[in-house]
Amino acid sequence: MKQFLIPLVVCIMLTAGGTSYGQVLKAVNYDELKSVVEKNDDVLYVVNFWATWCLPCVAELPGFMEVNAQFGSNPKFKMILVSLDHVKGLETTVKSFLTKKQITADVYLLNDNKRMNVWIPAIDPGWSGAIPATVFYKNGRKLYFIEDQINKSTLEQLINQYL
Amino acid sequence: MKKISLLFSLIVVLALTVQTITAQTSGYKPGDVATDFKLKNVDGKFVSLADYKKAKGFIVVFTCNHCPYAIAYEDRIIALDKKYAPLGYPVIAINPNDPAAQPKDSYEAMQVRAKEKSFTFPYLFDDGQKIYPQYGATKTPHVFVLNKENGKNLVRYIGAIDNNYADANDVSERYVEAAVDALLAGKPIAQNATAAIGCSIKSKK
Repeated sequence: MKQFLIPLVVCIMLTAGGTSYGQVLKAVNYDELKSVVEKNDDVLYVVNFWATWCLPCVAELPGFMEVNAQFGSNPKFKMILVSLDHVKGLETTVKSFLTKKQITADVYLLNDNKRMNVWIPAIDPGWSGAIPATVFYKNGRKLYFIEDQINKSTLEQLINQYL
Repeated sequence: MKKISLLFSLIVVLALTVQTITAQTSGYKPGDVATDFKLKNVDGKFVSLADYKKAKGFIVVFTCNHCPYAIAYEDRIIALDKKYAPLGYPVIAINPNDPAAQPKDSYEAMQVRAKEKSFTFPYLFDDGQKIYPQYGATKTPHVFVLNKENGKNLVRYIGAIDNNYADANDVSERYVEAAVDALLAGKPIAQNATAAIGCSIKSKK
């Protein structure tokens, strides 16, 4: 048993290390995204829905990155970017955008187009589907939702309010 | 003590309330009466819903040139007009964006795009952005199916065209077609509102 357990533990540690130090970039469906942001771990998840082609989204990202740098060392804070780009562009358009714009947060590409009418109202019943949109979660509960751009100072205020 | 417990309950109430801020603060819901308009078409003429004496209703699509989701749906919007205009429900496309915020959506660029794609329907410019807020459009594409009832245009469906913007060949739910088919058959619309990702409508702030 032990001989299996040790490699398993090492594996888990390596994976955990990988996610905390390396940036996540992967395609997920809505259920997988839910399991990433709705956790019972006292962490405030700031989840931003965006796309590389969305001008107002791209415009607000530098502010988000500054805030992420500011709060990033806090173990009770986690910023997640949810890309609504086409999955075909994950390794090309999206990846090069992240490098160029020095995006430090984990990025999940939500590849669940046919179920938009399921997950959009599930995230917020008032969300028409326009992006950018930002949601705050803690312990699996939604605390805040906005279907609009947020500037850096508003974002800071909101994080301090909900952290 | 009373004050403290009151304060505490207030905090609890606040903590339990999800603050939701959506772009769609007002705008139409299914059943509302839609306003008419007089907007400039790409051919230079002004178009109103009242011009369509014989129409039974309309497929009003807020769309634009620049948005990848709107572009992905262009051919499907043309197909909707070809199918439903002869049945009494023509497409009326409206570009709600302010060209000052998105130059690709200028009136001149609209004229170019309409010609390139041989639009069979009017492609109107919401100059001054007076109409889209009344409808409550928040993004492109955003569809409002209207039905003429007792001389008024009633909103009967709001939302997406279908359930797969990325691949027209892999669509399993055609929301707009289902809505118009139901109106034509005199049956209730099974799904009168849907949500889909789109490009937020651009205004110069």
